[in-house]
Amino acid sequence: MKILKFFVVCIFCFSQTAAADADEVKMAKGLQIFNETAVCASCHILKAANSVGNVGPNLDTLNVTLQSVINTVTEGIGVMPAFGDTGILTNEEIETVAYFVINSIGK
Amino acid sequence: MKKIKNTPNLNRRNFLAGTASIAGLAATASVVPITFANANHTDGSKGLPDFINWKNRDALIVHSDKGIETHRSAIGEGLITPNANVYIRNNMPTMSDAQIGDRNNWKVSFEGVNSPKSFTLAELKAMGTTTIATVLQCSGNGRGFFEHGPSGSQWQTGAAACVFWTGIPVKTLVDACGGISNGANFMTSAGVDHEPTGLAPKDAMVERSVPKKVYEDALLAWDMNGVPLPNSHGGPLRMITPGYFGINNVKHLGKVAFTTDESQVKFMKSSYRISPIGKKGSEYPTCWEMPVKSWITRPTDETGTVKAGKVQIVGVALGGTRKVKSVKVSVDGGNKWQKAKFIGPDLGKFAWRQFVLETTLSAGTYNIASLASNGKDKQPELRMENRRGYAHNGWKDHSVNITVA
Repeated sequence: MKILKFFVVCIFCFSQTAAADADEVKMAKGLQIFNETAVCASCHILKAANSVGNVGPNLDTLNVTLQSVINTVTEGIGVMPAFGDTGILTNEEIETVAYFVINSIGK
Repeated sequence: MKKIKNTPNLNRRNFLAGTASIAGLAATASVVPITFANANHTDGSKGLPDFINWKNRDALIVHSDKGIETHRSAIGEGLITPNANVYIRNNMPTMSDAQIGDRNNWKVSFEGVNSPKSFTLAELKAMGTTTIATVLQCSGNGRGFFEHGPSGSQWQTGAAACVFWTGIPVKTLVDACGGISNGANFMTSAGVDHEPTGLAPKDAMVERSVPKKVYEDALLAWDMNGVPLPNSHGGPLRMITPGYFGINNVKHLGKVAFTTDESQVKFMKSSYRISPIGKKGSEYPTCWEMPVKSWITRPTDETGTVKAGKVQIVGVALGGTRKVKSVKVSVDGGNKWQKAKFIGPDLGKFAWRQFVLETTLSAGTYNIASLASNGKDKQPELRMENRRGYAHNGWKDHSVNITVA
């Protein structure tokens, strides 16, 4: 029984670590898209990305959902390009950068 | 979560290969001056951005530093909305005093007229002056009620204000320019607030065309409610197109042209189009005339429990480009309607009217709605579903639930 418990705890810890690692990888990829691939940084402030762009809203002031960020990045708004509709970013990249933004606001 | 370090690569030029115009936009965006970037975006001491830290924080809902709404309960107790309570919706960064320079030297050019001219603000002030009251309303006011989650600030009722504008009628300037050239169909107004960003005008210039006839009512405004037009509201000079949605009231105005065709910039051609959900394109109607609309401002869910007995139900109503003629109020979700009475002065067809219904309510919960008519149209019950959540004037979504005890 003790051996079984030990294995259960190990599996739990492993899965937790793997999830944390996956999250870090996703955040790093999101940051890279934000600053490099899509250059969101050139138009937005986001402290977590060290960005100081001045065209669009300061992302640190936003109160939005993951889905709304995905929609906005996909379709564009105002001067912001439609990164999804024009094929600049893939759906996966959009979800990743939106995840990064949502988890970085105000940090 | 571990902190990940990364520095923006703002010099990258090839990230949007294959999308030439957008690539150009982003490339120029990468050279936005850092000092200017910081100037507008530092949080103010009251939770507002520095460039509007003079506003009344308690009256405002902050969606972002460029999208700030007036609380429903902060509208309607006065006919005119104080500047400190007026909403903010800026497509481009607000120009700073340094970028504007001497306000009296600000220039606006007139084209598509028989004698094209350029006027300084000082010259305009010497040529004529008048004051009008108009409702300024964002095209997306009410977007927060749409269930499909359209992009943009989730405004409910507060992306609207009633404002006194002082300036010179466009008609006076048209006359001074010898009249409108033959063949013009539109009055096209262009702002210059994109210039400091370095972005391409086609992508970033706020240039809006409206039907030519609008010039007869339009004004170039330099004062807002008796004070010099704040930079955050388009100072020192703004086009006012009475009865038309806010986007057509171009800020930081640099040019007025009478044109054969609509402007081809993004803000005219593809943005602000009222298209079905899932579709977009320049073939759909643009946000021009505001439809008739009203909403309750007191009591609301923001004003707490209402004391049983005599209750004053107060609100505002606008008629768009026609005078608002009547308002009815329901306290039972639209089953029965009672005629409300207008209060306060009538400031003309482009201003909103305050209305009140005095009634008696016993303890319970109530759904209160208002329904306005301008004699030609009345508010529909439901919203007009559209992709970006524009032009919402359905009465049902704008109703409020209150508790009486």
